[in-house]
Amino acid sequence: MDKDPLILLVDDEPQILRALKTILLANHFRIALAMTGEEGMALAVAQPPDLIILDLTLPDMDGILFCEQIREWSHVPIIVLSVRDSEKDKVAALDKGADDYLTKPFGIEELLARIRVALRHSEQSIGNKQSIIKAGNVTIDLARHIVIRGEEEIRVTATEFKLLSYLTGHADRVLTHQAILTHVWGFSESDHVEYLRVYIGQLRKKLEANPNEPQIILTEPGIGYRFKTSE
Amino acid sequence: MKTLLRNRYSGLVYYHLAALLCIALTTLVLKPIESYLEIQFITLLYLLPVMVSTVLWGLTPGILAGFLAFLAVNYFFIQPYYTFKVHATQDLITLIIFLVVAVVMSQLIGKAQAGVRLARQREWEATRMYELISALAGLQDPASIARVLANHTQETFQFMQVEVVIDSIKGSPLITAAAPGLLPGQDQQPMRIPIKTARRQEAAIWIWHPNEPLSTEETRLLDACLSQAALALERTRLAKSETKARVLEESDRLKSSMLNSVSHELRSPLAAIKTSVSSLRSGVVDWDTAARQELLETIEEETDDLNLLVGNLLDMSRIESGALKPQRKWNSIAEIALGIAAKMRSQLHNHRLEIDLPEELPLVPTDYIMIGQVFTNLISNSIKYAPVGTTIKINASRESDCLHVQVINQSPAVPEEHLERIFDKFYRITEADRVTGTGLGLSICKGIIEAHGGKIWAKNQANGFGFHFTLPLDLDGALPEFPEEGSDG
Repeated sequence: MDKDPLILLVDDEPQILRALKTILLANHFRIALAMTGEEGMALAVAQPPDLIILDLTLPDMDGILFCEQIREWSHVPIIVLSVRDSEKDKVAALDKGADDYLTKPFGIEELLARIRVALRHSEQSIGNKQSIIKAGNVTIDLARHIVIRGEEEIRVTATEFKLLSYLTGHADRVLTHQAILTHVWGFSESDHVEYLRVYIGQLRKKLEANPNEPQIILTEPGIGYRFKTSE
Repeated sequence: MKTLLRNRYSGLVYYHLAALLCIALTTLVLKPIESYLEIQFITLLYLLPVMVSTVLWGLTPGILAGFLAFLAVNYFFIQPYYTFKVHATQDLITLIIFLVVAVVMSQLIGKAQAGVRLARQREWEATRMYELISALAGLQDPASIARVLANHTQETFQFMQVEVVIDSIKGSPLITAAAPGLLPGQDQQPMRIPIKTARRQEAAIWIWHPNEPLSTEETRLLDACLSQAALALERTRLAKSETKARVLEESDRLKSSMLNSVSHELRSPLAAIKTSVSSLRSGVVDWDTAARQELLETIEEETDDLNLLVGNLLDMSRIESGALKPQRKWNSIAEIALGIAAKMRSQLHNHRLEIDLPEELPLVPTDYIMIGQVFTNLISNSIKYAPVGTTIKINASRESDCLHVQVINQSPAVPEEHLERIFDKFYRITEADRVTGTGLGLSICKGIIEAHGGKIWAKNQANGFGFHFTLPLDLDGALPEFPEEGSDG
């Protein structure tokens, strides 16, 4: 990249904007600030950012609506910020096009990690997707349909592999229950969460060193799952 | 009615005949001994039958007796005998005196008799009132008051039927009392009288009464009874308000105790943060890296604490206002418990956490985050009260239509009377200032579990102190639909 990535911050709270601006500038990002949805939309058009950090509780516009509208003409990664107990809103935003989320109050390490993942994915979708994913001592070869743990090859069923490839295709990003169910099983609603529980459980047993403390396939409470790679 | 009139008429006739007989009798008695008696004395003696007639039979028989007495004296005792000639003015005056005696006597007696009747009537009314008041005195609920009133008025006034409708109770059953064996005809119109105090109407009474209107005394007595009933109804209504007011007062007291507790809990981490931050900024002290790191660590920890506290308060307020709506989805209880265990690892450094959840446990419809909160709070509570180095065990089993989860620690036994109340807000068994936290943790657990349709309780058991909760296994009657075995390669 010749220029530092441009991040658009859309949040109506001046304290958050101030803190984030300071931190992100120090981490070699360029910043644009907006305090309302309309302002954010205008800035996104005028100066297309590489990433948008969006607070879901904007005064003038529903954050979910913002995501929908941006997605009509742009694939820019969006990370949504929200408080605890608004899981429904986060899921809705994610299903409408947001790529990841953070719950306030959050630590800066988490934020920077999410930003890195989001930027990496948007680079990748321009270039080629990775076909070999590494997580802990597990290696997944998407092209050859092979899963290796430590030294040995692990047998996975067709559905398990489909699930795994969807998760790894969005490695390190959160995927909602509905997104997974739709892409892997074709259900239009998240009515069959039980399928997920069963298959995730099976995958964990096969891949995790300790299935009771998953390090690879993480639960995002109330929202979905996240596949964590070694990066 | 006709018989009554005829009886009255014949009564009158008999009374007059009796008066006549009285005079006749007196004449018969006196005539033979005439020679021994002065004429004035005889005249005087005739006053007796006149008096007797008036006393016994009334004014007109008395007047009749007066006339007859005069005639008898004139005819039988004044010369010339057996004539009706009035001789002297004195005789006329005698007659007048007989008549005056008769009239005055009857008036006096009439008044006395009326007085006695009135007194008896008043006594009866007073007794009835007293009976009503005693019957109403101890009553606490409007229905009994209405019933007593209905029965009492029906008996007292001999109404055919009485119904009482209480205003403050919507759709209350009418309280009815009826004369045995008698029922009003379909076309009989009841009388409706409101039952009210000076302040408001409490009820109304419907009375079926054969066509005679009530007399003034009856109306007056009825009004007195009704106002007693109104007062009794008002009394019960006010007592209920008073109870409500007392409950509100108690709840206010609890709220202010909560505010005190919360204020303390909020201020402590804030104080720590403020101290640490201002120290770092002050520039008076040259902080070395280790000290700086420690201060910064404190700030981060206290911030996390505050976050938890705010979360607790929000949860509690949601539970209180009934706004807690779990988003129930099929979840593995093990996943939830293990996730919380991992998050709480740093707090568990003084205890051992053993999670024993068999694989075959069914999925349970829960709100992941809320049930996670339940585990957090129960484990937190266990950490607080269980001695250092002891084990906290979590296990679960299926029981017919629900999942039974237990969190067991080695904390000391809790006295029986406290076991249910520890789930109350701010309930403390030990001294408040020795224990941190807001006292909301367990009541939040209760609110969440109950919002899921389950039950939570605590027990002193052989292997320690146990928190137990159940969660229903069906989601509004539905069960999870599992993928078929062997449907994929």
